[in-house]
Amino acid sequence: MAFVGFLAASPAYPAGFQVMTQGAKATGMGLAFAGIADDPSAIFYNPAGIAWQEHFSGQGGFAILGRFNGDFTGANPFPGVGQNGSIDNTQQFLVPNLYLVVPLTAELNFGLALDSPYGLGLRWNNPNTSWSGRFISQNAVIKTTDLNPNFSYKLFPELAIAAGADYRFSGVQLERNTAAVNPFTQSVVDVAHTKLYSNLTSNGGWGWNVAAMWKPTPGIGVGASYRSKVTVNYDGTATVTQRFTGDATFDQLVTASIPLGVHPVTTQIVFPASLNTGLGFQFGGGWTLSLEADWTEWSSFQSLNIHSTDGSIPDLDRTTAWTDSWAYRAGIEKKFGEWALRVGYYFDNTPQPTKDVGPILSDSDRNVYTFGIGYNTPQVGLNLGAAYIDFKHRQVLTESTDNFFGTYSESAWALVGDLRISF
Amino acid sequence: MNKTLFRSASLAATLALLVALPAGAQAFQNFVTVGDSLIAGEQSACVVQRFQERSWVTIVAERLGQTDFQQPWISEVAATNPLTGYPCLGLVLNGTSLGLTFVSETGQNTNLLLPRPYNNLGFNGSPLIADFVDLTVTQPGTSDLDNIAGRVLRNCEGCPLQGTSAVDQANLLSPDLVGFWGGNNDVLNAMFAGVAIVGVTITPPDSFAASYGQVLTGLSASGRTLVTFNIPNIDDIPYATTIPPVLVNPATRQPVVVNGQLVPLLGPGDAAYPCTPTPPDTGCPLPPGSHVMLPASSLLALGVGIPTALGGTGQPLPHGTFTPPATLHVGVVLYPDDAALIESTTATYNEAIASAASANGAILIDANALFADVTARGYDIGGIHLTTAFATGGIFSYDGVHPSAIGYGIIADIFIRTLNAAKGSSIPEPNFSDILFTPNVPNLPGASMTADGGPWQYSLGTWRGVLDSAFSRRLSVQMPGMPRAMAPAPEAPRTNARTVRVASRGPADSD
Repeated sequence: MAFVGFLAASPAYPAGFQVMTQGAKATGMGLAFAGIADDPSAIFYNPAGIAWQEHFSGQGGFAILGRFNGDFTGANPFPGVGQNGSIDNTQQFLVPNLYLVVPLTAELNFGLALDSPYGLGLRWNNPNTSWSGRFISQNAVIKTTDLNPNFSYKLFPELAIAAGADYRFSGVQLERNTAAVNPFTQSVVDVAHTKLYSNLTSNGGWGWNVAAMWKPTPGIGVGASYRSKVTVNYDGTATVTQRFTGDATFDQLVTASIPLGVHPVTTQIVFPASLNTGLGFQFGGGWTLSLEADWTEWSSFQSLNIHSTDGSIPDLDRTTAWTDSWAYRAGIEKKFGEWALRVGYYFDNTPQPTKDVGPILSDSDRNVYTFGIGYNTPQVGLNLGAAYIDFKHRQVLTESTDNFFGTYSESAWALVGDLRISF
Repeated sequence: MNKTLFRSASLAATLALLVALPAGAQAFQNFVTVGDSLIAGEQSACVVQRFQERSWVTIVAERLGQTDFQQPWISEVAATNPLTGYPCLGLVLNGTSLGLTFVSETGQNTNLLLPRPYNNLGFNGSPLIADFVDLTVTQPGTSDLDNIAGRVLRNCEGCPLQGTSAVDQANLLSPDLVGFWGGNNDVLNAMFAGVAIVGVTITPPDSFAASYGQVLTGLSASGRTLVTFNIPNIDDIPYATTIPPVLVNPATRQPVVVNGQLVPLLGPGDAAYPCTPTPPDTGCPLPPGSHVMLPASSLLALGVGIPTALGGTGQPLPHGTFTPPATLHVGVVLYPDDAALIESTTATYNEAIASAASANGAILIDANALFADVTARGYDIGGIHLTTAFATGGIFSYDGVHPSAIGYGIIADIFIRTLNAAKGSSIPEPNFSDILFTPNVPNLPGASMTADGGPWQYSLGTWRGVLDSAFSRRLSVQMPGMPRAMAPAPEAPRTNARTVRVASRGPADSD
């Protein structure tokens, strides 16, 4: 039943369609956690960190993600000045996570994570009427759920390594209308709706990860975590339904000429490799500073190709040409006994070239401000984190793969909470 | 001292002007266009206000913010029987097939009394390149070209602009931006005629080059930006590409295959492809590379061009022929040698156009490459795929020759982007939501006239309408035989004197 919760779609708030809000403490500290990694969410941020976790621990949590606004302001030539749109910001996404840390020997620990490191949910308002990008995308969804077992091993009291396997379940969905020229009016009309869909539990791919953590002194942590690419090949369906124009003559011609019904389709997404590197410094007086630089190999996402297996619908071949990206993160924690307050900031560079920005995904550089609070004892931890994500306006005014021009503006929020119980 | 002061003041004024303009922008205050039907905004075989308002010229003028851009607004009126104006085509459903019909016709020029030349000096009626520097119309008109051009140029004896050519009138307006597109008919008339003959249906390249140079030289001036277009190939025009030279099942639109072979349509042969028919057929299979024009649709519906063994009459689709001194028998088939001559002539013309553009400092828009690219790949905008497919592709209008409102929107966008790139201006591009989604139908009461025959219902009457405007002033046009019931009704109000004037004249010739 818990697994069902992981089927929720996720919006892409870190760069690209990566979702890094997988732990409340990390979120409060600006996601700079690779050099800290001192709770079970370390399995996601830096699995080598669990080597220092000496108790059997279980941690369950969630992230709720939503948008304050997501707006599109049209520009000429298409859709044109005055043709605006907005993302459905009533959509909120629940992204659960579950971590388990099992000490096996003094040096060897086992960790298991169930989380959702990638996701996208971009549904436009008025998808069948005034949304002028409806022929490109009305609703784009990427879902993932990762099952990620890890072993950590302490080579020395100050140095640990970890390795794990990662199986990623993934589903995708893209909905859009099809346009045609009504030959009787020589104008463009909506004639069909196509929903491309593949189920989350039916498609998946394997990856692996390695990590290391060095703690030269109890107050300093240096961490690095690498995750491999994961290639997921999707088998899905394209469901084509007619949209009636009200012109019976024309509708009759359309009925005879479009492939109504359900058709098999395939696609592939190569999820990128990533390297997270972080430093953690514990100062006197309960202060901790954490810094991190993360690299993501988004150049693996060069195209989006959806192939019609039976040739009944046109293939979608779209060049994306993303580039590798860096994110820079910093967080501070101040402890007051068992209580802690946290603040953080990070800057994410978008991997998406301007030409590719469009209704399917409009990514941009962003500044993110975070805040967190926690109560932690050796037996119990209760943490909350929140983030305000301020996307830079993204202007697509000269080159566009979709020939769809305008400015995208967006701001979003995330609220993350988790509960740890240790024995 | 005064001179120094004057220079300083001039410099200050210039600097002030530069500061007032957006960075990198060059403002154009006075846009004027000269040319043929592609300048006039013709769609679906006619020029009426509904089409003029959506022509690329009008779109550009709007984007320039030129509020006093004047053109001869031709009203659109319900089609009459008999016709009193030039018919406009529309599409209807006849039974189970699409059919072209006359949905309206041209009315009066509601802007005829404008006391100055129009900014849009484009006119249809198939003007040749030389017509832009030497055409003087008569009143009353002695031909369709007279009637059509007369409403634009108003240069007949006793008329307000007596004796002035289109180029002269453009210069009277002292424009700072001129768009010119002409010379298409000098070679594409061979397509309409179904035969390519230099000096008859094709203007000799030397004459063309001389006339083109004369036009561009006449339109160029210091401080003026001149933009010109070259000429597309027939392979990129649905009129010549929609009907393949092989038999197609009209129900499935798929080629008929007999014994594993496609079945060529029948033609009469020409000098390069002599015909020895196999009875009972009286025509011979068209060789690969032949082009069959849209008007063949009606003949195919009657079984013409289809082998007897497959249910046709075995008669050949007509190929155009010329009988000296001035009688043209038009056809619907271009043999490969015709097509090759048209294409090589187009290439030669385009070299002359490029040369003239370079010599006159004009910006050249490569319409030939644009049309070829759109034919090959279509045109995608905002997830909407447009093609050059006849009637359904969205880019060409119902005559299969002229762009639709959407097609003209694309041309306007290309024009503006080319101008912005070349001149550093920042003219806003067109708004395609308006262009794509606004229906392009007449707002007129009453029913349309009936259409006749063929998979595309491109009727002989329609064809005749096109040919009337294309050749009536130059040649005695002879149509292939057709049942009288299918012919359009007599057009009494229209003058069709059909004065002979073949396409071989030089640039200095006069009517």
